Formats: sequence, C-alpha cells, structure tokens
Amino acid sequence: MKMLTDQEIALARASMDFALENGAQKVRVTLNKSLMELFGILNGQLDKVTHALDRSLQLSLFVDGRFGSFSSNRLDREGLERFILGAIDTVRNLEPDPARDLPAPERTVRDASTGRELDLYDPAYETLTSEKRREMALGTSVWQRKAVLEQGFRLLSEEGEYSDSLFDSVVMDSNGLFARHTETSFEIGYEVTVEDPSGNRYASYWWDATPKLEQILPSLGTCCEQAIRRAAAQIGPQDHPGGKCDIVVDSECASKFLTPVLNALGGYAVQQKNSFLLDKVGQQVFSEHLTVLDRPRSTGETGARLFDSEGVATQEFPIIEKGVPTRYFVNTYIAGKTGMAPTIEDATRPRVMPYGGCKTRDDVLRKVGKGILITGFNGGNSNSSTGDFSYGIEGFAFADGRITHPVREMLVTGNFLDLWSRLIAVADDARLCMSKLIPTLAFEKIDCNG
Amino acid sequence: MIHPKLHYLELFRVGEPELDTLVGEALKHGGDYCDLYFENTTYGNLSLRDGAVTAGGRHIDYGVGIRVLNGERTGYAYAESTAMPDMLESARAASAIADGTSAFYEHSVQADANGSRLVGRRFRGEPNPAADRYPVHVHWRETEASALIPFLQKLEQAVQGRDSRIVKVMVMLAWQVTDVLMYNSLRELKYETRPMASVGVTVIFQQGGQVENKTVSRSYRTGVEMLTESLIEEMAAQAVQGIDDRFAARRPKGGQMPVVMGAGASGILLHEAMGHAFEADFNRKGTSIFSDKMGQRVCAQGIQIIDDGTLKGNRGALNFDDEGVPGQKTYMVEDGILTSYLHDRISARHYGVSPTGNGRRESFRYAPIPRMRATYMESGQASPADIIASVPQGIYVDEFANGQVKIGEGDFTFFVKSGYLIEGGRLTAPVKDINIIGNGPEALRNMVAVGNDLAIDPGTWTCGKEQSVPVSCGIPTVLIQNLTVGGE
Repeated sequence: MKMLTDQEIALARASMDFALENGAQKVRVTLNKSLMELFGILNGQLDKVTHALDRSLQLSLFVDGRFGSFSSNRLDREGLERFILGAIDTVRNLEPDPARDLPAPERTVRDASTGRELDLYDPAYETLTSEKRREMALGTSVWQRKAVLEQGFRLLSEEGEYSDSLFDSVVMDSNGLFARHTETSFEIGYEVTVEDPSGNRYASYWWDATPKLEQILPSLGTCCEQAIRRAAAQIGPQDHPGGKCDIVVDSECASKFLTPVLNALGGYAVQQKNSFLLDKVGQQVFSEHLTVLDRPRSTGETGARLFDSEGVATQEFPIIEKGVPTRYFVNTYIAGKTGMAPTIEDATRPRVMPYGGCKTRDDVLRKVGKGILITGFNGGNSNSSTGDFSYGIEGFAFADGRITHPVREMLVTGNFLDLWSRLIAVADDARLCMSKLIPTLAFEKIDCNG
Repeated sequence: MIHPKLHYLELFRVGEPELDTLVGEALKHGGDYCDLYFENTTYGNLSLRDGAVTAGGRHIDYGVGIRVLNGERTGYAYAESTAMPDMLESARAASAIADGTSAFYEHSVQADANGSRLVGRRFRGEPNPAADRYPVHVHWRETEASALIPFLQKLEQAVQGRDSRIVKVMVMLAWQVTDVLMYNSLRELKYETRPMASVGVTVIFQQGGQVENKTVSRSYRTGVEMLTESLIEEMAAQAVQGIDDRFAARRPKGGQMPVVMGAGASGILLHEAMGHAFEADFNRKGTSIFSDKMGQRVCAQGIQIIDDGTLKGNRGALNFDDEGVPGQKTYMVEDGILTSYLHDRISARHYGVSPTGNGRRESFRYAPIPRMRATYMESGQASPADIIASVPQGIYVDEFANGQVKIGEGDFTFFVKSGYLIEGGRLTAPVKDINIIGNGPEALRNMVAVGNDLAIDPGTWTCGKEQSVPVSCGIPTVLIQNLTVGGE
C-alpha cells in the first residue's frame, strides 16, 4: 500500500495512548511514509534503478516537566511499546525544562484532515509503471545525438536522474490535533561535463520538480540540453579586475542571499544571540524596495504547507515589508523560553516581490547595464552573528545589458544588512520548483574580487 | 566491536539459507552480482543549552538494502522489515536493472575462477575480533542518559570559567551504534558493530558590540570511555584558544600570494580539492580532472597522499567497507605520482584492479559508492617554522569552513575562519573571513614545501557527496606557492 493505511495511523494513535498511559503527560506523534522510484542515466544508458519505501514514527514526549524526541522505523506494536517505555525512562533522566509544551490548540491547523487540501497529490502517479518510468528516463538523454550539440566543445559525460515520489504524513497530539499532508513529486536532473578544444573542462547541471506529472513532461525533453548550455557557456573564462560592481544574481542561485536573512529571523538564533538581526524587528534595516511575503497556502505549488512540524497552522503574512522585518519565527519552545509570542516555526514558501519593472533576467541585465551576473556559488561562508559573507562565484561579465564573457576565480564579499540596502531590481522569474520563490535580483556597488 | 555470527543472524531474523534465497531471487532475471546489507542503528543524543541538559532522544533505524549489479549498472531497493516476504519484494525490485541477458547466480559464482563478468576477488574468512579497529569497553546502548549528563555539565562549566566575554555555551553529545551484516553472491559473509560518538561545544563571545563564535568537536569510533576529564580539559582549552586574535582579526587585502596551511584541520583542503577527484566513480564516468592522469606526476617528489581505513578508533576507520571489502591503507599518490584511485567493487572491475575498501554508504537506504575514509598527506622533511620563515609576504591559515570543489574542473573555494598574515617570514596580524580560491591539480603542483608535523584532525568531519559518511582528514604544514586569496 503506497499511502498510509488506516492500520498504520491506528498504530500511531495507539503509540500516543500507550505513552500517555505510561507516564507521559503530553505527546505528539508524527507518522511519515514515502515511496520513491528513481531511474538513473549515464551517457545514454540506464545506469541505476532505485526503489525506496520508508516509514518512520516520531514521538515528542513531555514527561514530568521534561522533554525528549524519539523515532523508530520498526513499526511492530510490541517493539514500539518497549521503545516507548525506554524513551520515557530516558526523558526522566533529563533536566526539567518548563519552556517545553505542545502548541495551544487554537494555534493548530483545522483544515488539513485529508492531506489533499492543497492539491499536491496527483492521481496520475498511480498509473505509472516501471516500464513507463524507464521509458521516460531514457527519453531524457541527448547522448545519441550529442554530435549535433557539440558546437566548439565535446560532451564528456551526461548523468541524469528521473524520479517520482509519494509522501504521506500525519501529525497528531494529545491536545486533539490531527493533521495530514500528502503530496506527489516528479523530478528530473542532469549533470554534464564538457571539454573545450584546449582540454579545459566545464561542468554544470539543471533540474526541475513539479507536484503533477503533466507539469514535468516539458522539462524531460529539455533538462539535459539546458545543463549542456550552462556548461558550454562557461568556456573561455577571463580574469576580471573586480572592485565595486553592480551585480545581478540569477534566480537559480539567489536563495544564497535570502536564506541567511531568514535564518537570522529564526527564534533560536535570536535567543542564542547568534543573529545579525537581533533587535532589528520593526526597524528599517533593508532597502524599502525589499518585500518578502510568506505564501504557504498556494494551492498546487511545490513547498506549500498548511501546517508546520508542530501542527501549527500556516498563514500568509509579510516577513519583510518595505525593508522592515516584521517578526521573528518563534516556535512553542522558543516562545516559552523568551516570552515572545509564538508564530509558525519557519518561513514556508517565502516570495520576494518584484520591483523595478523587470520581468526577466534579461530585463534586469538591460536595466543595470554593466556588472557581474552571478549564476552559481562555489564555497565561501557567512557569519550568522555579524552578517558578514564571502562567497566564491561563477558567472559572467556583462556590459550594455548583454553578457560579454565568463569570469573565473571571483569572490563577492560584504554584509547582508548592507547588501540588501543596495537592492536595485527584483524580476518576476522565480522558479516554481523551489520552495523559496526568489527571482533574479540586482544590487549596486558590491565588492567583487578576482 | 565484533560479536559472533549468530548474534547478527538472530538480530536480523535470517538464516544463511535465507540469504542465499534472497540473492537467488535478486539474480533470477540476470545480473552479475548481488549483495545484501543488513543494518540496525541506534542513535542517541543529548544537548546542553542555557546551562541545563534539557533535550535528548533515541532513534532506531533498521532494514536491509539489496543491490543487483548488471555490468556497471545498479539496481537497488530496500526494506525496513526483515520479514522474508518484504525482503523478497525488495529483491525483485532491485532485479529490475537486469535485462535477462547476464549470467545467473550459480553461473556467476562458478565464473569467479577466471573473473569474467565478475565484480572482483573474494574476501574469505570470518571477521576477526582480535583485529577490531573500534573496540568498545563501555557500551553506548547500555549506558543511561543519567550517566552521560555529568560530562556535558562539566564541559560547559570548564568552558564558562575561561573567558569573561562568553555569553552562551552549547554542548552536544551524539552517538550511534550500528550492527551490520553483509552477504553477497560470492558467498562472502561479513558482520560487525560500528560505534561512533561525537562531542561538540559551541561558544558565543561578545566584546562590545562584536559577536564571535567558535566550535570545537571530537569524534571517535569508540565507547563511552572516550568521555574523560582530559577530553574536557582539551576541548575547553581549545574552545577559547585564539579568541583574542579572532576579535582583532580583519579581512586582509586579497590577491595572488603564497599560502601556508597549518597542520591538521587544513587537511580538509586535501579531502575536498584532491581526494574527491581521486574517487574512482568520478574517473570512471570521465568527470574528474584526474581522469587521464593515472601513472603521471601530479605533485613534487617526496609527497605521499593516503586514504586510510586502518587508524584504530578514527572516525574514518573501517574493519570492512560497506561491500564487505577489508579496510586498508591506500596510497593515492606515491612520491608525487598518481598511483591509485579509491575504488568500490564497480570501479575496481571497470579498471581491472582490486577494490580498495572505499565502497561506503550512509545507510541501508543507499547503494555504496567510492568514498574517502581518513585522508591525509604524510610528513615531509621541513620544519614548520622554516616553512613560514621562507615566505616574505603571504597568508598562514589554520582553520577552514565550507570548502567546496567542482570535480570536473578541479576549482575549489575554501572559507578561512582564522589565520595570520605572513610578513618578512613571521606571523603578524590575525585574519579571518577570507576565501582561498584555486584549482586542485594546480595547487598540488604548486606545493613546494611539506612539514614534518602531520596531524590528523580529531573533529567531526562528515562528507556529503550524495550521502553523508563520517571521515577525517589531516595534513602537515605545507606551502602552496600561489593561490588566490579573496580579501578586501
């Protein structure tokens, strides 16, 4: 059976009841089941077939003012009961923590009883056979016609994977919560390596993922070629003098700049004084052109969720409004520790809103005129306490709104507070396959070093 | 830790005839080779925050992975139950890679003598407890949390008293014990129990408005006996060491310059920028920058680069890899010449060599692929002081984070958490938050001095190539003549 069965859900409920009968005062149980089929291609040939079925039962136990988290994938009733008794003993050995609690029932989700509410489950998944998957996977390769594509380079290797999966999850707690989330996913990804006439190698990738089978079909035929185009575009890199440059960050990699900001709004980072946005909520710390909305309830879109891991209902709200962070993400535990009002535990599907009249990356390049286009990052780090960052970058120089040549061995350095105050354009081209909807971005006068 | 064979058969509720039945089912439609990987892992964790050990847990992961090889192609499936019907279903799913044209199970065993269409040699014999590389005196599974909590508390207290700028101390203990049983169509049966434990302490300092943090970790394949007073002293001292310089450190001016890598943790550069490119799957697929360099000089005479699974108690130690091949010490570069890739059974067959014991996997959910163990460079002749003294203007680095490499091109970028300017052959101003950029093969060629002070770093290193596996790394002090240092 691919979905969670009534028996499996009943076992989860029985585990909660057993824990309550044997010393736990409060319990949360999460039951996950996932099924994944993968067909890998290497240079035009089927290279790998994987079949994966996973189940796990996670228990959050609140015992005598103490808290512990436990999990097992051995879902036989007797074994689980022994495991739960041992878990309760373990929790009793920990020190008390009055901040630990289940979320208040009025905060938990009420509209996620079937798992299908967000329309992320595609019944077409059930119609796929092993033969059909194999056929689709083999059809994504370009190896047999690579001679046509090899314009000024040689395709050394082509490695792709088609996969699809079904994920079904139930969260319940002793306050009466019952929530379910079910989704299917269809994915294609390719990594390629090309070689120029001088023997220099360039690698790149491309991928796509959708919750519906019919949505992935167009990408099956284009994914590998897109990876090859991206690899070949890097041929002939030149040194760049660097200095203060205007930069454009492609939507494929723009999350590198927003994710640290979202992390810095995490309640745990703030409580541990490890956030560069400590005491910055309500202040104008970024450009007034930056607005980030959380859109967790976008029906049919990858990454949408009606509830978080505690079962707290998601809602649409501005995370950053005209450059002002509106709130920290505070789960029940951090709320108990800090006295802050609890929220959803994390950004679910943040969307950076367009600014500057640009729809596409090309629009942004034309608007900015001259600078560095960043299409990937290679190494580097950021300091969560200070917001300082330094990343290796891959990309291109552009002038008069057009790409001129690839650049090599370059770094972009700065501080996130300063970077986001230099925002000059946000396109409207975020990739729907990503959980964070971040379009192509442009910033002015950023340190780029060769 | 190696128990008698019966312990593992009972744990996984299988007998040797059932193992043969599963292999036979998996190869029913063809294929050259099949292996079974049974795993039972218990994870435990405790964490101290805000002065109290208030979080902990245990987790169980149990199942069997079944792999079928058809030439170099892989079929893989797993079951989270070792009931025979569930395992047979997985065996049939893994057999989907077979096209019906390859040898059947019995034929493949008979063909072993001449090696045709086979994965490689047999590794006979039963596991030998006397040769165990991870003996355990006090068992993690049998130790209550109450016996472990005092260690975390003592470590926190030992750190707190050392610096008035400390505002937060977090201590984490994570352990896991994994029972494995491996069987394959060559009728090799291997079994063992692998311990692994890591202790980490993160300290946040504040001076005026400036905040700095530092993390120190230790990780070993051993038992509870690793939690000693001397470990507390060692970690507490390291947690505050150099923090004055961290506050004073600035980003230096960037550019091309000589870079001296300090002994120990700088070995991550060796792992990322060179080691991955020596993994044979990247070479078999033609994606590695070293794909056509076997037998060629890749660095100066006198340099040895090793990947080693034989270091007792080391995070990368293995009695057997996850294909049942004995752990071993593999010289990848000898006297500056590339002499061996790191092989699993697939790549070994491709290259016509013996597997090197590098077939590793994160868990039964994954098919094994070539992975490093403990990767390091042997000591050279130079004294570290002489190496630094030979550099008129450059950078000395001793702590890295977030290294990344592009296997195809060999290009790498490493973030330097701490180091010093070298001016006139002496260490001067502290530096931080810089990147070092280069190319693996070029950096190897430009390695002009190797110190006599090899150190294997004892930290919690985890390699994330497709799957997460524990590794370690080390290097002596080395001088690379020319790298790009990204600074102000």
